[in-house]
Amino acid sequence: MISMPPDERDLHAYIDHQLSESDRRLVQTYLTNNPQAAATVRAWQQDAEQLRASLSGALQQPTNAQLAPAAIRQRLQRQSRRHLASAAVLLLAVSVGGFSGWQAREMTLLSTAAPMTDALQAYRLIAQQGLLPADFKVGEQGDMQAWLDRYFTQANRLPDLADAGFKPVSGRLLSTEQGPAAMVVYENPNGQKISFYVRPPGPKNFLLPRGSRTDGELQAEYWSGAGYNYAMVSPNNTPAAQLLRQTETF
Amino acid sequence: MNDIDEQLSEIIPRLRRFALSLTRNPSSADDLVQACLERALSRWSDKRPEGDLRAWLFSILYRQFLDAHRRSRRYARMLEFFTGRAEAEPSAERTVIAQSTLKAFDQLTAEQRALLLWVSVEGLSYKEVAEILQVPTGTVMSRLSRARQALRQLSEGEIPRPALRRLK
Repeated sequence: MISMPPDERDLHAYIDHQLSESDRRLVQTYLTNNPQAAATVRAWQQDAEQLRASLSGALQQPTNAQLAPAAIRQRLQRQSRRHLASAAVLLLAVSVGGFSGWQAREMTLLSTAAPMTDALQAYRLIAQQGLLPADFKVGEQGDMQAWLDRYFTQANRLPDLADAGFKPVSGRLLSTEQGPAAMVVYENPNGQKISFYVRPPGPKNFLLPRGSRTDGELQAEYWSGAGYNYAMVSPNNTPAAQLLRQTETF
Repeated sequence: MNDIDEQLSEIIPRLRRFALSLTRNPSSADDLVQACLERALSRWSDKRPEGDLRAWLFSILYRQFLDAHRRSRRYARMLEFFTGRAEAEPSAERTVIAQSTLKAFDQLTAEQRALLLWVSVEGLSYKEVAEILQVPTGTVMSRLSRARQALRQLSEGEIPRPALRRLK
């Protein structure tokens, strides 16, 4: 039982139908005799009505198939498999080079000397040797940028290489010592490949100036932005590689 | 479609609306809903409490929003530290004159938006809201009261920026 005159909380409870029937009547009687309180209550009620009306549109969004419970279940299953796959990536990274496993480790430690070694390694594993399947393919599953945005919020946009004849075709998630990484593979009609690689700068927050280096037959362009490190890897001595090297900002 | 999925499908539009009111961005809203559903489905058998399914899902979604928000603030601070500027957060003191209730609503804090949506729009009881926020019912009522007053003031255009007020 509320006491009279009703305090502000009682008025809110009245608006929200949270009072017992007898309390509700008490408040109603009080309001008929107190025009000022009645006006306040009326204004709150109107705000609530307008809010309901203006938010009702948000219930009518087109359905998003990704949110269907069945799709969520499938994704949960796939994720537990991906967990295993990520463990496999680390193993590969160490064993691929044989003795160079240690070398690679030293290179990461001395990352000033060889930035974005992991981007080159990922290019070799995925784009050249096809050792790891794609997590995402353009066409079947939709937009590459949207896929990347799911994992790397606010990262630099994927560079548009359409003028050079390259289009994003597939994406793959990887785990590295610096944190989760993603690699997007671009392809041209001749089957040549360029990769876009993004990952966090690592615990030491190692940010990179815009730079370029060659490693064997590959060329890496690297830079930092929006809290991530990036690399674009391509076979060197190609027109596309030259174009990338001349690009100041991606 | 099984029974659980059917119940969920009915609530999904409401979850999306709630997420949209928190994030103000359709694609992050759907990401949030997806994360919420993943969590709900993976803990369905052992964690699902008795009572309103909607309230339980709202509470999972809200908590995930807060976590993500905290992370992004930390991230913004870190960026600021290293780059000397903040990129993520728009200023909280944005001064925009609110013309409509919806605009006013968008200027409230995330918790106030959540409160008003739960109580005024979804019709949850004070007790359910108290359980979601893990505070006493009395606290819910006083926060709700502040949220309503803020909404009222903002819709009337009473914002702390006298220079911009139209004088008659």
